Amino acid sequence: MIWDCFVYFALVAIVCWMVGAVAAWRQSGKVAIMATSLGLCVFAVYIAMMWMELERPPLRTMGETRLWYSFFLPLAGLFIYARWRYRWVLSFSTLMAIVFVCINLFKPEIHEKALVPALQSPWFVPHVIVYMLAYALMGVAVILAVYQLFFVKHASEKHGEATDNMVLVGFAFLSLGMIMGAVWAKEAWGHYWTWDPKETWAAITWFAYLAYIHLVRSSPRKHRKWANVMLIVSFCLLQMCWWGINYLPSAQASSVHTYSMQ
Amino acid sequence: MWNKPWSLKEGVAIGGGLVLVGLLLQLFAGPVDWDVFAWPVNVIVLSVLLLLLGTGFLLRKKLYAVQFLMSWKAVVPTLGYAVLLTIVMGLTWQVSSESEPADPIGFSKMLSFWPFVLVYVWIALMAGWVAIRQMAYFQFRCIPSLASHVGLFLLLVCGSLGSADMRRLKMYCEYEQPEWRALDSRQMIHELDWTITLNRFVMEQYEGEAVPKRFASEVEVVTRDGERVRATVEVNRPLTIDGWKVYQYGYDQMAGAGSRYSVFELVRDPWMPVVYVGLALLAAGAVGLFFVSRRSVAFEGEGVRP
Repeated sequence: MIWDCFVYFALVAIVCWMVGAVAAWRQSGKVAIMATSLGLCVFAVYIAMMWMELERPPLRTMGETRLWYSFFLPLAGLFIYARWRYRWVLSFSTLMAIVFVCINLFKPEIHEKALVPALQSPWFVPHVIVYMLAYALMGVAVILAVYQLFFVKHASEKHGEATDNMVLVGFAFLSLGMIMGAVWAKEAWGHYWTWDPKETWAAITWFAYLAYIHLVRSSPRKHRKWANVMLIVSFCLLQMCWWGINYLPSAQASSVHTYSMQ
Repeated sequence: MWNKPWSLKEGVAIGGGLVLVGLLLQLFAGPVDWDVFAWPVNVIVLSVLLLLLGTGFLLRKKLYAVQFLMSWKAVVPTLGYAVLLTIVMGLTWQVSSESEPADPIGFSKMLSFWPFVLVYVWIALMAGWVAIRQMAYFQFRCIPSLASHVGLFLLLVCGSLGSADMRRLKMYCEYEQPEWRALDSRQMIHELDWTITLNRFVMEQYEGEAVPKRFASEVEVVTRDGERVRATVEVNRPLTIDGWKVYQYGYDQMAGAGSRYSVFELVRDPWMPVVYVGLALLAAGAVGLFFVSRRSVAFEGEGVRP
């Protein structure tokens, strides 16, 4: 079974990403970009193999979405590094990716072939991938917020600016994921928005990040501390939306979004 | 407090006042009855809202509150209230739209809970005003932000007002029996001026799996003008007839592939095109965000106050 050889691909990818992270700290940009890209390629090959083996996109179970998450984190880190050359960003993204790879290694979820008819739609792949990308960016942003709040005495506004840029791009993806979900829901279930628990929590998350964006637009320096706190709260809300509702009594019975629990 | 210029404190107070007014309305007037907004009331409400936005904007120099509502100091607290109320919604069991709230306060029917409705109306107003300001003082770099504000306004206002005009019916079709009647959620019969005949129900199963791979209904539709259309209705592939969308909803689960009937959901939502314009604008705004994702460039609007 394809899941059994995950460990080998994951190890190679992680080693590449770690090499990239170290290279970024040492300011050797080319090595950092090449090593990270190589790790991403290895990981992408595994995802492609899994896709072919399952005969459906591996996007349904929590384990599968974590797979994409651990792929998109270094990808997001790579883009940010390539654009702004922040030394720390690859270390963060690598660390987060390792955490998610480890969860998948030690707590893999059942992977079956069956895809219920509602999920057989051209919207399925872009909807989930865009959301995973948004989650990855928000993940990097929240780590930055924690770093500024608890680990730096006099945070320069440079970090704040990086956080804001990441949230902006993450928010754009969050919006696109939600819009695609709405259009898909209209095709599959007859209405674009029914306040299903997953949708309710998606709205909560969206408005929370919207509040952040509006807070930091005018005088970011003055409100940086509160903005960082907001980012941590927003990220917790995002977790509720992603997997938390699976454990929520009010959602369990009524949500049509609980495929991953089957 | 209340010395100009107002700050976040006033923003928090105004939002709190809104929630309080909502609670009083909930107490004395009962939950919001969305059916009241059915055509033509929703168009009237929308016109009044647009008029309010227009006059409010024109009088903004005399009405400090309008200027304040266009600022982040009002927006951030209001979004905070929206998040809090929606979290309550996410944590509580919600009753269906036909039922009365299951708790004395009204949390279990959040969509009809006055503070919730008022806060979202408030957000729509703010988005509307900012959009008008961005149109009045147009700048190219504001386009993504403008598209987002207009999109959000359309989604919130037309989505909720339009929900009163939406019809969702269930139709039970037996093999080779033309059907033109459908049931609403109160089990009332509605008659349509076209018929559906189920010619064949098809179902494919995954090997050794409980869930079906695909189920579909081959149907023939006869419209009012006598036009005959053959089509296949399946999940994710609804059929459009005369303003209605026909969805594959269910079948005889005991019989599985041998089901002798098929259940369709019929949906009519005349406001959907407007909502889709809102979605498209919001999507365009999001894509625009990529290109202006430098903080200094992305944040605009307030700098152009007259």
